[in-house]
This record gives sequence, structure tokens and C-alpha cells, in this order.
Amino acid sequence: MSTATTTRRAPSSSLTSFVVASRYLPVYIAIVLLIVVAAIWAPAALRAPSLRAIAPFGTFLAIAALGQMLVIMTGGIDLSVPGSITLGAVLVVGVGDASDDRVWAAIGVALLAVALVGLVNGILIGGLGLNALIVTLAVGQIVNGIALRYYTSVAIQTPVPTGLSEWASSRFLGVTRTFWVGVVLTLVLIVIFRFTTPGRRFQVVGANPVASHIAGLRVNLNQVAAYVVAALCYGVAAILLAAFLKTPSISLGVPYLLGPIAAVVIGGASLTGGLASPLSTWAGAFFLAGLNQMMRVMGLSTALQFVVFGLVIVGGMLVSGDRIIRGVEQVLRERRGDGATSVVSATDGGSG
Amino acid sequence: MHRIRIIGVVAVLALVFTACGGDDGGGTAEPTGDAEASAAGTELSEYGESIDADPALVEKALGPVEDVPDIVLAAIARADQDLDQATIDTAMECWNSVECDTGSGGELIMGVADGGRGNVWRQVTHMEAILQALTYPEIGTIISRDAQWDEDPAVAEADIRFLIQAGADFIIGYPDQGTNIAAAILEAEAAGIPYIPYSAGYVGLPGDEGSLIPGEDYTAIVGEDLCALGESFADIVNTEAAAGPVGIMGGTPGNALSAGWQRCFQPALDDSHPRVGPAADTYWVNDFALQTVLGWLSTDPDITAYAYEYADGMYTALDAYEQLDVPVEDITVVVRTDEQTLFCDWVDRNEPSYRIFFSAGGNFQSRVAVTAAMLTLQDYEVPAEIIVPHVMREVTDSNCDPNRVTETVSGTSMVPDEVLATMYPEG
Repeated sequence: MSTATTTRRAPSSSLTSFVVASRYLPVYIAIVLLIVVAAIWAPAALRAPSLRAIAPFGTFLAIAALGQMLVIMTGGIDLSVPGSITLGAVLVVGVGDASDDRVWAAIGVALLAVALVGLVNGILIGGLGLNALIVTLAVGQIVNGIALRYYTSVAIQTPVPTGLSEWASSRFLGVTRTFWVGVVLTLVLIVIFRFTTPGRRFQVVGANPVASHIAGLRVNLNQVAAYVVAALCYGVAAILLAAFLKTPSISLGVPYLLGPIAAVVIGGASLTGGLASPLSTWAGAFFLAGLNQMMRVMGLSTALQFVVFGLVIVGGMLVSGDRIIRGVEQVLRERRGDGATSVVSATDGGSG
Repeated sequence: MHRIRIIGVVAVLALVFTACGGDDGGGTAEPTGDAEASAAGTELSEYGESIDADPALVEKALGPVEDVPDIVLAAIARADQDLDQATIDTAMECWNSVECDTGSGGELIMGVADGGRGNVWRQVTHMEAILQALTYPEIGTIISRDAQWDEDPAVAEADIRFLIQAGADFIIGYPDQGTNIAAAILEAEAAGIPYIPYSAGYVGLPGDEGSLIPGEDYTAIVGEDLCALGESFADIVNTEAAAGPVGIMGGTPGNALSAGWQRCFQPALDDSHPRVGPAADTYWVNDFALQTVLGWLSTDPDITAYAYEYADGMYTALDAYEQLDVPVEDITVVVRTDEQTLFCDWVDRNEPSYRIFFSAGGNFQSRVAVTAAMLTLQDYEVPAEIIVPHVMREVTDSNCDPNRVTETVSGTSMVPDEVLATMYPEG
């Protein structure tokens, strides 16, 4: 896969690896900074109970962010996440009908429904070539409306089946089981992207859809699949969230509009498509969850929390993977005296 | 002549003495004497209202309070309805629709502009307003708008402007966005449409920058004396809770209800009850309340008291204790509303050192707003602030009704069970 499209001289593989890895560095630096700041101003945020409080909400955000990452890897964006998560959660409640006998039916219906939302997004964007921003925003509104109608008529403030909520509250190795679901999902994506042909193909199509189309790869199908699999990730997040909260509200999807995008950006993904790392996205989500927890511990007002959160996202954009890569390219050009090296398009296996 | 003067002075003094409530002076609200009440009652009857409310119904709505204002009594008297199926069907249609015809043939249009309707409390409050409206044959149309707690105040403002354009004769609702929607409220009033929020939904607390003044900028406000409510909360924390930090939660950022009681609650706390942090905004969403308590509890497991308006949110927030393996012990909770979820959970826990004190759900306040608006339209001069008296009560086993249609509904709601059963068929 290492085909440098515009280079006269292919960069060495170690240099490529360094450059690719550098785009994911900011999130880990940010986590270290967060720990240092917390240790100085809010040491209580680093204690075990505090970390235990972060684990579930960090996981929900991480799973939603992994879905968003898949979409961003195709060069798109998904603003229907809050609607999908809300729909999935209210279906778990409504179909579950507080009966343990209906847990699997509830999970199945929830996943099927959100996958359908993803399919609609995928067909409109990948099949008909409509603008992802507008389409997903509109579809998200429609889904929100459906979820609201269903919630108010069937599922309002109704508990999820007890078996499901007890499972979500139980622990494995001292941490909520929801956390391990997130870990497994992240590992699966890492393996797929690093060691499987479909995974690598997925990245290549996202990085350069035109070249991929010429090479005979089915770009449209790739996009449709991305939206469907992403929606399934939102569905998993919705089910876990509903199970954890026991009586989910209609507003539970609201924090998942900006949060997952922020996690993906801070995780170093290329917003033009192609490169992203499930591990860094996961780390980005936990960075944001940790930041929220630290702000609570520090006693910041809601207004100040909004400001800090927004500033961090802007900061994430400033040191985003794309900007880092451009900076590294600039340095390489100046050192070599040639002006045409493009490491971005010369990479493979950037994920994980 | 001199004797007549003396008799006159004595008579006036006797009237004043009677009007001031005689010798007891008790109660939580401003005293309203029998003579005055009687006079006002007579006055209200001229406007088609009766203050002859069933005392049992008054106590169900408010608890054992005294000196209830006449408009509140009049609203409760109307709430004492025998509903036939046709009325329930109409109420349900109005509850489910943006616009409905009440079938009365009345010419008035009632507008409801709610900042959000995504929880049972809001939905039941909406139904209370609808049922009250159905007691007035003059109201022929009900138009209900819901801004779905959109953070953009333009959404809530657009709802009010929509109602103005739709020809609403009066508008009631809860202004979650406070002063951010002041312009639209002023437009309504300028168009001659009385705006009466309930649940102490001041459009900015009086005295705050940019706030509107009830009675001047908008017709009236229905709600508790928020400062007194906050002081009642603090009094319970000071006297009943063990020394230790107190968690304070509120609803949407800047809403007047939360800000109003918190403003008097915090200074009234004694030194043994420091705040665990600044009051947290939960948007009255259970998930956010849980996240808040998780955050607090993870660093400060010794919280001894919580103050919040919303009992059902508190019910979900207590899950944080299970998540972090902290026992629910030595905790005092003060809440305004009385959703059965929290109370029945309290019964299940059977933990003597965990105590709850509550005031009243206040769903029925939307009925008072409807009645006040109807009086206003008849040129009756309603008070700028219709103060609903409150009293704090400790939760006992009797506050959990296992036969309630749905335990998420406040015990003090006046929506009949047959209507609740239709609203929430799943129970």
C-alpha cells in the first residue's frame, strides 16, 4: 500500500511511521497535562473512586466516538449521533417493557433501528452524493422526533429490564462491565485496521476516494458501510447508556453531538478522511471525560465548564493531526530542498 | 355624633383585627383574614369562580398549609372535576396535539409555551392546565408549544411569537430561558396578551439585571415564595442533617426557580454545612443529576445532605452511591417535588439514617395560571405575585402509593387516575 503518489523519493518506513505516529501524539500529551493539572489543583480527581466514576461515561463517549471516527475516515461527518443514541435507548426501554424476558428483543430492535438510520444516512451521502453535514443533521432531527414521540407515548421514565441494569452495574476486575465492552470494541477495530485487508482498504478509500475509484474500489459502498457500522456503535453506546442509567431520559443523547467529534479530532484523525486511530480516539474520549470530572471536582460553574470544554476543542483543532503532518512535511521539505514530498498520501497502517 | 364616631372607630378596628387574622398569626404564607377572604371570595364569585374548594383536595395539592390565596382556592375548586370519557378524550387530544378544539365552541384561545416537556412532571403539569381549561366553556382552542429544552433561546422565543401570531388570548408556561426570552414576552404583553408563568418561573428574579417585573412587564407569576422555600430547605438541613458538606442541584442554567431558592438557601446554611461545590445545573434531566452526584461523591463520600427541586432526578442520582460502593446512610434530602419513585425507593431501602423532606410537586400551579388568566381577561386585577403557600414534610411509608398509576407522577398532582392511566398506559 505504500505508494507515494507525488514523491520523487519514497520516505523511509521508519520516517513514515514517525510522521504518522506524530499526528496521534497530542492526545497523549493532553492526558499527561490533564493529570499534572489535576494533581496540582484537583488531586481528588485522580483517586480511585473518581476514576471509577469516569469509566462508564468515558466508555459511552468512546464508543460513540469510534462510530464517528469511521464516518470521519470516509471524509464525512455524522450529526445524527444524538438522535440515534436517544432512539436506541428509548427502544431498549420501550421494547424491553421492564421484563428480563425481552432484553434480547429490546437490544435487537434497538440495534436494527439505529442501523437503519445509518443506512439511510449512507445511501443519501454515499449513494446520492448529498452533503453529509446537512443530511445527517436532517436525519438526526427526524430520528429525534420519532424518538420523542415514542418516548412520550410508550417509554417515558420507564426503567430498563432489571437484568440489563444489574449487568451494567456489575463489575469485572473492579471496573464496570460497560468499560470492558468499550475496550473490546476498540481492540476489534485496531485489529481490523492493522491486520485485515478490508480494514486497510477502508482507510485507503477514505484517504483518496478518487484514486480508489480509479483503482476499482467501491467507494460508495465503503461510505454506506461506514455509516451503518458507525450507527451500530451508537446503538451499542445507547444500550449501555440506558442500562447504566436505568431510566433514560429523552435528553440522554444531547451530550453526544459535539463530544464524539471532539474525541476524534483530539485523537488525531484526519478530517479530510483516511487516517484515524481507534486507540487514540478512545484516549481522546477518556481525556474529555476526565476533563469533565476534573472541572466538577474543581467546582467550576456550568458556564465556565462550557468555556473550558470549547477551548479544549479549539486547542485540539490547533494541534490536530492534519496540522502536525503539514508541519512535519514543511520541515522535511526544507531539509531536503525539494518541494513535493507528501507523506500523508504515502502512508498505510496508520491506525491503532 | 361623637358616639357614632366612636362606634365607627370600634367597628373599623374590629374589621381590621378580623382581617388581620385574629390572634393566631400562624401559617407560612401572608395571612389573609376571614373577612378579607370572604370579601374577595364574593368578589371572585362575580367573575364566575368559587373559592369553596374541598379541604381534602387543598391538602392533597399543598399539604397542611393555612391561608391559601383565593385564586389558588378557586383553581383547586375547579380541579374537583367528574370527568366523563368525552372530556378525557378531548384532554388527551389536546395533550397529544399542538392545537386542539375543546368542543365548547368558545372563542378564546389558550396558549401554552413550555421550555421543555421531556419529563413526566412537565407532561402532567401540561395536562393539569388542559383539564383546567376544559372547565371554561369560553376556551375553544388550546395551542401548546414545547421548545424541547433547546439551548437556543430563539426556539422558545419563536414559540411565544407563534402563539401571538396564532391569536392566543393568553399565554401560560414555564420560561426555562428566563430573561433570554424577555423580548418575546414583552411583545405578547404589548399585543394585549396576558403572560402568566407558573412554578415560580420568574422572567429573571426581581432585582436582577434584565429581569422583567411581574405586574408591570408581564401580568402575573404563580409560585411559592422562593426565598422562604430556600430558607425552609436550609432550616431542615441545619436541624436534621449531620455536619458535613451539602450538594446543591438546580435545573436549567439561570432558571429563576432554582436561582430563587438557592439564593436564600446558601446564606441560611450554618457553618457545619459547607457546600460541596457550586450549585450544579442538571437541566432537571435525571442523567445529568446522576453525573453530578457521581462527580461529587467520587471525591467527597461524606456528603450529608442534598437540596434539589426534583425528586425523580434525586432518585436517579442516588445510583451514584451504588456505582461507587458508598452506602446510602446518614443522608438528608430536601426536595420540592414528590415523585413516587424517590419515595418508594426510600421505603425499599429501609435505612433510618436516610431521610427525605419535601414540599409539593406543584403540578397544579398551571391550573392557577389558567384561572388567573381567565380572571385577567375579565378585567379582574390579579395580584402580580400569586404566592402558593408551602410546608415541608418528612417522607413516611404512606407517601409511597404502590397503586399509583405510575410512580413517576407526583403524589400531589390533581390529575385524576383515569386520566393518568390514559396518559401512561404502560404504567
